[in-house]
Amino acid sequence: MVKVSRNIVTTQLQLFLLAAFLLFIFKIIFGNSDEFFLRILLDLLIAASIFFLLLALIKFENSRTSTPLSLILNVGILLAIMFFIIMFSDFLLPSIFDSINLKLENPGLVYNIVSFIYVLVLVSIVSFFLITLRHFFYLNQRKNVKIYFNTMLIFFILASLSINFFRDDSLSFIATTFFVVSLLLMIFNSIRISWIAFLSKKEKIYLLLLSFVITTLFIVNITNSAGDNIYSQILTAFSPSLRQFNQVIMIYGSIYFLILFFTTLFHLPTAEAYDRKAQEVTSLQYFSKLITEVLDFNDLAETVTDIAQKLSGSKASWIIWKNGTKQNSLAPKNIGFVESDKVTKQILERISFENLTSTKTFSLKEGISEGSSDNLLTVVSVSPIKTRGETQGILVATKGSGQIFTQDDLNAIETFSDYASVAIENSRLLEESIEKERLEKELDVAREIQRKILPSKVPEYPDLQIASVFIPAFEVGGDYYDFFKLSETKLGFVIADVSGKGISAAFIMAEIKGIFESLVKTIEGPKEILIKANDILKETLDSKTFVSAAYGYFDLGKKKLVFSRAGHCPLFLLRDGNTNQIKPSGLGLGLSDGEYFEQTLEEYSVDLNENDTIVLYTDGVTEAKNEQLEDFGDKQFLQVLQSNIKLNAEELSNKIVKEITVFSSGHEQYDDITLVIFKWQQ
Amino acid sequence: MAEFSTSVRERGDISIINLKGFLDAHTAPTLENNFTQLINSSKYKIVVNFEDLAYISSAGLGVFMAYIENIRDNKGDIKLTNMSDKVFNIFDLLGFPLLYEIYKNEEEAIKKFSGS
Repeated sequence: MVKVSRNIVTTQLQLFLLAAFLLFIFKIIFGNSDEFFLRILLDLLIAASIFFLLLALIKFENSRTSTPLSLILNVGILLAIMFFIIMFSDFLLPSIFDSINLKLENPGLVYNIVSFIYVLVLVSIVSFFLITLRHFFYLNQRKNVKIYFNTMLIFFILASLSINFFRDDSLSFIATTFFVVSLLLMIFNSIRISWIAFLSKKEKIYLLLLSFVITTLFIVNITNSAGDNIYSQILTAFSPSLRQFNQVIMIYGSIYFLILFFTTLFHLPTAEAYDRKAQEVTSLQYFSKLITEVLDFNDLAETVTDIAQKLSGSKASWIIWKNGTKQNSLAPKNIGFVESDKVTKQILERISFENLTSTKTFSLKEGISEGSSDNLLTVVSVSPIKTRGETQGILVATKGSGQIFTQDDLNAIETFSDYASVAIENSRLLEESIEKERLEKELDVAREIQRKILPSKVPEYPDLQIASVFIPAFEVGGDYYDFFKLSETKLGFVIADVSGKGISAAFIMAEIKGIFESLVKTIEGPKEILIKANDILKETLDSKTFVSAAYGYFDLGKKKLVFSRAGHCPLFLLRDGNTNQIKPSGLGLGLSDGEYFEQTLEEYSVDLNENDTIVLYTDGVTEAKNEQLEDFGDKQFLQVLQSNIKLNAEELSNKIVKEITVFSSGHEQYDDITLVIFKWQQ
Repeated sequence: MAEFSTSVRERGDISIINLKGFLDAHTAPTLENNFTQLINSSKYKIVVNFEDLAYISSAGLGVFMAYIENIRDNKGDIKLTNMSDKVFNIFDLLGFPLLYEIYKNEEEAIKKFSGS
């Protein structure tokens, strides 16, 4: 493609050179002849030259991407050059050629060459003006731009040629008419300049100055070339049409830039508002990106600093994030951790998280060099990032020496940090809800484990009533109870409570079930079983987890109950209308190593009487809470037992559950509730 | 659900942790942090004041178990004081009085530290 377009440029350039060469030959042969036919031929050659030059320039212009401002600057420079050419030709050319007037009548080769180059340079400059003006005209997103512009060009040509061919005073109105129409078309085509709306305020001020200077230069050049000076003499001699064409274009230029000047002037008051709107649109794009795209916290931090840096045009950006009592730098952009930490230190000497409620800017006491030594960071802006109403992080942006944070920068960062807060809060909430869902799933699993571990029904004996109640808490509490048929006449039982809750408690329950099921097969004594269980659990449990347990067995033949208590709730024995709390000494399982555990563990044995009721429970019973967060408590539990001594095992357990339910009706059950009741009926 | 907070004071080389509110599985990390920080700064003589503690769960008890071995290996101790009857009962059930020294008030505990 590039090669092809370059070929086209060359083709047009070649055509232009050919036309120019023919023009040059024509001039050498015929000089400044006044014959009608020759005049037509001359103007045709000139028109062809200009036409191909314009085409070449358009192609050249399209091949590079230049901003309107740079084009305008080019126009200004060329105008200045033109100004000097016109000025100096008055002094310079006469000194070379003695008398221009003589030469005009009788030009030599040297004069032809010099004047030809002179004209060529001026024509090129004016052509560039025309191309630039065309470029600006095409920037307007109007319909039929091409038709409007080409119509105007045709009238330019007509106005130029009519000067040459209707010289007669009676016909001069024709040239005047064309000229006036051209003038009207120029004005029509110059109004409604829309492209300047997209410039920033700074650029508009720059444009205002430039357009003023350029308008002035155009007018000065027009005035200079209108007089009877060397410039106009040479050009008129070359071709009056060409001179007129130049003038027309210069007038078009001056009108366009004059209107541009006023348009810019009228745009200026709203420029700031426009800038802000433009900024807001950009920011909104950033913000929506921030909120929709990023959910992971670390990615979010990266995006936040990246955008903050771009938005404020700062050198580096990062987040100071509060992590407990410490602060650390997150996602540093364009700066190393070491340097950002140095700046962070200086910032935190000046402000605290609590006091920072809006965006602030200040200079650093000592600049921090980043990379090379001349790249000194000296000013910072700090904005709070709030979650749950508290400043949790500080968004930092820094600039180098000689730069400042403008109010616009600060506004942008301030708004942005608000959005960043929302985004960070969102990601936190999402994380929380994911975590919550995960916990709920986990608890479902834990409850399922617990349900499978606990006995589905109680064993049945003619002389021993057995009732059990288990009410799970939402967060699995780690309660466990079980019965073991040791022999025809012996029934073992265990009740235990794992410290902690949830899935980990459920796993430990499963482990305990396994331990007791295997131990009861080989060992009979409750104390011995608990000692062995402690040995195993001390090994496997982590240091802060332990298990309270009570293990015992009924010897139905010998009418005896033997049991030991390892840190578990005491056992109640209801006998002869009295409630007796039985609490032999014993440490919880997993708290202490074997020897000390063994020393402190007691074994209790009691002979059973008719209607003896034995109640085992976990702390979920006594720690059941009411709305005022008061415990159900040992005392109340004792009272319930005492006043219901006569009930059978099933009735008693129902009664206790009812009492607890009534007591704690206003409060969510926090821990598992387990109740195992035996009643000896022989 | 429930609030829990701690505060740490220094009395000579003895650190005193005050507990307030409800100590359970959810609030235990706060106290764990206190212990970790004290151990990190080699402060092994610790008195825990239970005066304002309303409730302790089994997970709360576990916190003390988690650090006691390390502290005692460094010739320090955790001594417990000012327990309400309710809190003491919970400790007592598990046999904690066999494992920890429990005193009526801070002075007794501090005296014990300086005496030994």
